[in-house]
Amino acid sequence: MSQKTSPIPLPSGADGFIRDDRANNEFLVPRKAFTSPEVLAAEYERIFSQCWLYAAHASELPEPNSFVSRRVGGRELIINRDSDGEIHAFFNACSHRGAMVCREKTGKNKWFVCPYHGWAFNSAGTRVAQDNETGFPDGFFDGGSKDLTKVAKLAVYRDFIFITYNSNAGSLSDYLGDAAEMLDLVADQSETGMEVTEGNHEYSMRANWKLLLENSADGYHAMATHASYFDYLQSTNGSFRSDFNPSDIGGACTAFGNGHAAIEYVAPWGRPVAQWVPQWGDQGRDAVNQLMETLIKRHGEERARRIGEKNRNILIFPNLVINDIMALTIRTFQPVNEGYLEVNAWSLAPKEEHADVRKFRQYNFLEFLGPAGFATPDDVEMLELCQQGYKNMPEPMWNDISKGMSKAINGSDDELQMRTFWRRWNALMTAD
Amino acid sequence: MSYTREQIEDFLYHEAALIDEWKTEDWANLFTEDAEYLIPPTENPDANKDTALFIINDDYHRLQQRAIRLGKRTAHAEFPHSIVRHMISNVRIISQSANDLVVNYNQVVYRSKRQITDTYICSATQHLVPDGDSFKIRSKRVILATDTLRPQGRVSIIL
Repeated sequence: MSQKTSPIPLPSGADGFIRDDRANNEFLVPRKAFTSPEVLAAEYERIFSQCWLYAAHASELPEPNSFVSRRVGGRELIINRDSDGEIHAFFNACSHRGAMVCREKTGKNKWFVCPYHGWAFNSAGTRVAQDNETGFPDGFFDGGSKDLTKVAKLAVYRDFIFITYNSNAGSLSDYLGDAAEMLDLVADQSETGMEVTEGNHEYSMRANWKLLLENSADGYHAMATHASYFDYLQSTNGSFRSDFNPSDIGGACTAFGNGHAAIEYVAPWGRPVAQWVPQWGDQGRDAVNQLMETLIKRHGEERARRIGEKNRNILIFPNLVINDIMALTIRTFQPVNEGYLEVNAWSLAPKEEHADVRKFRQYNFLEFLGPAGFATPDDVEMLELCQQGYKNMPEPMWNDISKGMSKAINGSDDELQMRTFWRRWNALMTAD
Repeated sequence: MSYTREQIEDFLYHEAALIDEWKTEDWANLFTEDAEYLIPPTENPDANKDTALFIINDDYHRLQQRAIRLGKRTAHAEFPHSIVRHMISNVRIISQSANDLVVNYNQVVYRSKRQITDTYICSATQHLVPDGDSFKIRSKRVILATDTLRPQGRVSIIL
């Protein structure tokens, strides 16, 4: 599409909106992609309304009639189980005049009753007749046209619940493709299933949503942005693996289809599943060693070591991040406007986790991750500095994401994961 | 001996001044060695720190490290330091025994940086231990009186 006719005000060329110059190993992204309301409107239409989006984890719906309500891809949903335990996702809007029928974040509801005129729906979304209802013809509520509206499609992979607003979307398993293996490596940490623990982080950043996507699997920024975090680890007895050699980090980035990518590497910090550090004491060592033994029994030595000892930062296009590092976080985020995003993050853990290990996990999570951790606030600062720096356009027009482009295999501190995202983004934004 | 609200308020104002003046290591030294500094999740202020995901769950070591980190240029979110002011009110002594005073109060904390001012509305509970003419803090639990951390986005200061 030419620049003149495109409703998306980005410089376009042979590659679309990005400059993907494989001959010269240069990859550029226009800064206007982060600052334009028209780009955001196009992203809502072409990405958030088309792709599969992470909505909830099945463990958040433990029983029949359990529900959560939250924004997914900018829209207000109720995600629940009906009385038979089947999972649904409804738009949180009454079929009568559109008021939200659910105002609680979580709970158990057999019925959703609209507070405005009293229309009632059961947990399968079916409108339920009220006594003394007059003024409507016989059969008016039959046939489901006044039920709660379901999202176009819902599918569950290893307890990760995804939805899409696109009735023509292909299957979730086709969408995830080979990236599903990354979710397997997370789900396989438990014998009885993973669960989202109590407490979550709902915060925000004054930055474009794509900045957080880039940041969430950016090994390159760690030493500069998080220098004070590494200082902290060094000042904390036993927080580093005593047998750790920095040359062990290794690390590789894998680009999957459909814009998904992950980096996998070894790190000096402890992992609740299943890498002990001296800080956790002898009792902790026994618990973690036992975990590794059961992993080996279930998955064999090689896969067990990969599950338990490797770290993974997983990007599922467009806005799901699973960071399986010193703790395990599910993080999803969405734009409110071009310069402001909302983040929701949860801590995921094996249901059968030993109480001591659960304690390490939650303690660990906070020292790096979360809005008051020793690292995430500095990430927020960086993303906000970027967003402010983009105000200098048009002169410095392009972001550079070329690192690693000339290498056959990208390490965890290269930038293939971001290029993978942008290539998919570009394809969707320029599609006819 | 029993303490008056005025004595407690003097201590809380002193603690707040140390934070507002960025004397973070002096602030950390107000705590006992078995201390905790906690911000529970917004949806459940009564949550258990060993099982639930908190916003802050510092033991003495980590709150000391938090204080040291905030003095570094590489604590980027707070370099240069934001402007912080604590407003404390509604102070109540809930109970007092020889070695444990339980104090409740409300506070509003303002943080200004790059021409944006964020407001943290909180209630807090402290367990205090008499220490000479003053007190040491054994536990400080700050409850965010907002349903999420939007729009502040972070707690990069000490509340």
